[in-house]
Amino acid sequence: MNLLHSIVSPALLAAEGSNGKWLPADINEVIWGSLAFLIVATLLVKFGKAPIVNGLKARSDRIAEHLGEAAAAREAAEAERDRIKAALADSDSEAARIVEDARRAADQLGIDTAARTETEIAALRERAGADLAATRMQATADLSGELSRLALGAAEEVVASSLDDATQQRLIDDYISQVGAQN
Amino acid sequence: MSDAQISAYADAAYGIAAAEGNIGEVEDELFRLGRVLQTNDELRGTLTDAHLPVERRAQIVEDLLDGKATRTTVSFVSMLVSAGRIGDLAAIAEAMAQRSAASRGEAVAEVRSAVPLTDAQLADLARALKARTNIDVTIRNVVDPTVMGGVVTQIGDSVLDGSVRTRLNQLREAF
Repeated sequence: MNLLHSIVSPALLAAEGSNGKWLPADINEVIWGSLAFLIVATLLVKFGKAPIVNGLKARSDRIAEHLGEAAAAREAAEAERDRIKAALADSDSEAARIVEDARRAADQLGIDTAARTETEIAALRERAGADLAATRMQATADLSGELSRLALGAAEEVVASSLDDATQQRLIDDYISQVGAQN
Repeated sequence: MSDAQISAYADAAYGIAAAEGNIGEVEDELFRLGRVLQTNDELRGTLTDAHLPVERRAQIVEDLLDGKATRTTVSFVSMLVSAGRIGDLAAIAEAMAQRSAASRGEAVAEVRSAVPLTDAQLADLARALKARTNIDVTIRNVVDPTVMGGVVTQIGDSVLDGSVRTRLNQLREAF
């Protein structure tokens, strides 16, 4: 009806304009005009409505489809965005965890190294002490042996030089006395 | 050389000396020559050198002992050189001395000292050893400078060591 009104109204206005009245002066013209109009309108309604409605519906469907696709694309984009955000958050936390693990490993390595170093230092100190003590004992023994050797060498020299003939005879006499006394 | 061979040579020497009636002299000369061979490496090396002819080595013995030993001793030593047994002279002389002493009911004592014992000391020591072993002892005095002082007596397997050298060694071991 709106379409019919929109089509008829300009004609009426045009007719009003020609003689100053609402209807043309020639009523036949009105009748034939109206009849032609009705025929055209009927033909339009009969043959043009369906394509127009279908076209409009198809367009509406396309638009709705496009809107759906856009919404889906948007949802996908938003999902991708969320995933990327989550991934970024995960990568940040993973990086933080790795850094933290590395820091802990470094701290533990430092502790272990310090402990091992302390142990090795203690072992080296103990071994050095033992070596020093052994060296001291060996040096003492060597010195004692050397002193003994020198002292005995000197004593031998003194004894040899003091073994004059009288001493030799006395030693022999003492020996004979001892042999005779051991019966 | 085995003990049996040494004993056989000693018995032979004793028998020859007994037959000649100079056991004491031969015994003493063999003992002294044995000591010389023990201490004189050059002489021992010459008399035991297989590269030298036996006649040459026997001649050396003749020259060395000529006028200084009995004919019995010279002949016996020459025989040892010819038999290649001169290196065992000391052991043979020792065995002969023991054989001789045993025939007299005595034992032989080897007495080593830095200076020779006087006759009185030898007699006193023989009495002391007899008192100790209850048998008569024939003493062989060997001058050995390594003793330094005092006396070392060996009778059979027994050793009576009263030497200064041994005392110094004991002192050295005590340190």
